[in-house]
Amino acid sequence: MQFTQSSLLERLREQPQVAATPKRMGRVCCDFRHLVRRRMGVGMPDSISRRLRWVWGVAGGALWATAVAGGVVLLWRYASTPGLIATPPSSWPAESTIVRASDRATVVMLAHPHCPCTRASMTELAVLMSRLRDRAVAHVLFLLPQGAATDWEKTELWRRAAAIPGVTVHSDVAGVEAARFHAATSGQTVVYDGAGQLLFRGGITGARGHEGDNAGVERIVSLVGSGTADRAESSVFGCPLQDPLAGAAIVNQGEP
Amino acid sequence: MNGLETSATSTSSRAEEVFQEHRQGVLARTDRLMAVLMVAQWLFGIVVALTLSPYGWEGRIKTPHVHVYAAVLLGGAISSLPVALALTRPGWLGTRLVVGVAQMLWSALLIHLTGGRIETHFHVFGSLAFLAFYRDWRVLLPATIVVAADHLVRQLFWPESVYGIANPEWWRFLEHAFWVVFEDTVLVIGCLEGVKEMRAISQRTAEVEALSNREKEKSAELDRALHKIQQSQEALVRAEKLAAVGQLAASVGHELRNPLAAVRNANTYITKKIAGQGVGANLTDPKIKQFLTVIDREVSVCTKIIADLLDFARERAPVIQPCPLRPLVDDAIAVLPESKTRIVNAVPEDLPVPSLDRDHFRQVLINLLQNAVEAIPTDRDGEVVIRAEASEGELWRIIISDNGSGIPEEIVGKIFEPLFTTKSKGTGLGLAIVAGMIKAHKGSIRVDTRAGEGTRFTIELPSQPVFNAA
Repeated sequence: MQFTQSSLLERLREQPQVAATPKRMGRVCCDFRHLVRRRMGVGMPDSISRRLRWVWGVAGGALWATAVAGGVVLLWRYASTPGLIATPPSSWPAESTIVRASDRATVVMLAHPHCPCTRASMTELAVLMSRLRDRAVAHVLFLLPQGAATDWEKTELWRRAAAIPGVTVHSDVAGVEAARFHAATSGQTVVYDGAGQLLFRGGITGARGHEGDNAGVERIVSLVGSGTADRAESSVFGCPLQDPLAGAAIVNQGEP
Repeated sequence: MNGLETSATSTSSRAEEVFQEHRQGVLARTDRLMAVLMVAQWLFGIVVALTLSPYGWEGRIKTPHVHVYAAVLLGGAISSLPVALALTRPGWLGTRLVVGVAQMLWSALLIHLTGGRIETHFHVFGSLAFLAFYRDWRVLLPATIVVAADHLVRQLFWPESVYGIANPEWWRFLEHAFWVVFEDTVLVIGCLEGVKEMRAISQRTAEVEALSNREKEKSAELDRALHKIQQSQEALVRAEKLAAVGQLAASVGHELRNPLAAVRNANTYITKKIAGQGVGANLTDPKIKQFLTVIDREVSVCTKIIADLLDFARERAPVIQPCPLRPLVDDAIAVLPESKTRIVNAVPEDLPVPSLDRDHFRQVLINLLQNAVEAIPTDRDGEVVIRAEASEGELWRIIISDNGSGIPEEIVGKIFEPLFTTKSKGTGLGLAIVAGMIKAHKGSIRVDTRAGEGTRFTIELPSQPVFNAA
């Protein structure tokens, strides 16, 4: 059976008027209040009423505690879950357009220009460069996806990176350089020594978008300074550099 | 138990009551303040999330960032219970304990939303200071536990997120908690001192209240005593009035009895004469004429007594109008009986015209002049002088002075009392009438006298509109 707009309206008019008129709404509210009062023990003997209120109070408190604790744990898990970590070439990729320093270490960070989590990586890069001083140069490559608008990558992150002494910023058109370094997560950092050998791979934040002391910075400083560290990698936290389902199996997932 | 101990116990119990009221007020107010803070933090958290991390990105694809959901949902959840409790159960211990927990959770959330910035960590210490507003150290306990638990759990499961290294020492969470406990120590001392001060204030308030109550009781007793005195005074006035009425009746009776006795004697004589001689009685008897004169004179005396009494009793309100004084004095002098005393009207001709009740003042002048004339011994000539002076904006003065025998010092204070007289044929109302009429003009009269030298009456009238003499 087909209904035109007018026939539908006619049918609706024929329906008994059971819609939520103000009077009916008032009764519904009244019923609800009555239900709540009854559940809370209003109108009952004092001892029962007190007990019911206590039960409801404890139940409400437990519900609140569970909801809040659950939310906090979920947030912690989100913040502490690393992104995909790259397995970059053990030697500096010859096809890279980035000029590697031969007399000192070269730090390369692949970054998504809009990723809010990478703000913390920039802060830590500034810390790292101030600790390395003239023992390293750094390049930050900001992703400029295919078809993106002009200056899409010239964000506040770009300006912050450019302001760090010893750092040169570049546009990584279509993620070509990211692919050369096998980077999949914003904030991915790789460090090569003056001979072009891979020293370090990973992130330089302790959690997603979280500033502060972290293993990545400590290891890079140690590796560049003394050539040794407890590990030559760390977790990387940040936004994926590639669109969903667009990447190739060039990376590993999880902890290094 | 004596009265002093009872009073001390009552003050202590009142002090405790005041302390509890004050404390409950502080707790309820702080609960409301914290409820506002909870809502404000929620809104602030949402703004921070929308500003710093509105979107998460995957290549070119953006979706709302987890921080936005966390700020809205988790922030809302954290604030919900403390706000609800602050509104429904302000002042309850459970409310502030939940507030303490929620406030520390807000610190954790805000630190997270701002990317772990070191500056946001000050929120923890600021929050503890806020919680100290309760002046209840117990609130700091769950707050501190939340901070320690946060660090412990993260140390166990996500150590890098808080310490930056994968294998921190087991006691690292205690190091962080230590600084919180350090501030707690200061705040606990502050809370305890605050409570101590509140108790001291309550004690002082109770003492002041007790003092105030005692003062009120004293005041009430004084009021009661005053009321009794007023009642006694009223009773006294009533008794005096009754006595005055009795005195007046006696005086009037006494004054009327003599002239009436003379009238009765004269009447008896005349009646006998007429009865003895029948219808054709000869009325040329000179004694009949003499007795008729006596009757006429004594009836006049009775009329004067009654007229004085009426003047005194009526107390008619004065009709104020411009009234030149010098002619009024002449008028009063003319009424006085012939005597050897010289009466001098020394009122200046150019004296401004006062406003007063002409009839009242004529009576005042007659009474004072008559007294002055009668005060002069008959064996010598006397003089009575009436002067007046006035200037714009100042008191009017009318002075009547004589060189008579003066008024004895012991009776000078009674001369204006009604029914007081030293004359053999006086009603004692003349000067009382004078005083009443001058009072009706809102003026005053005073007397200066020296035995053997004379008396001076000075009437002072308030400044009134002055009219130039025609």
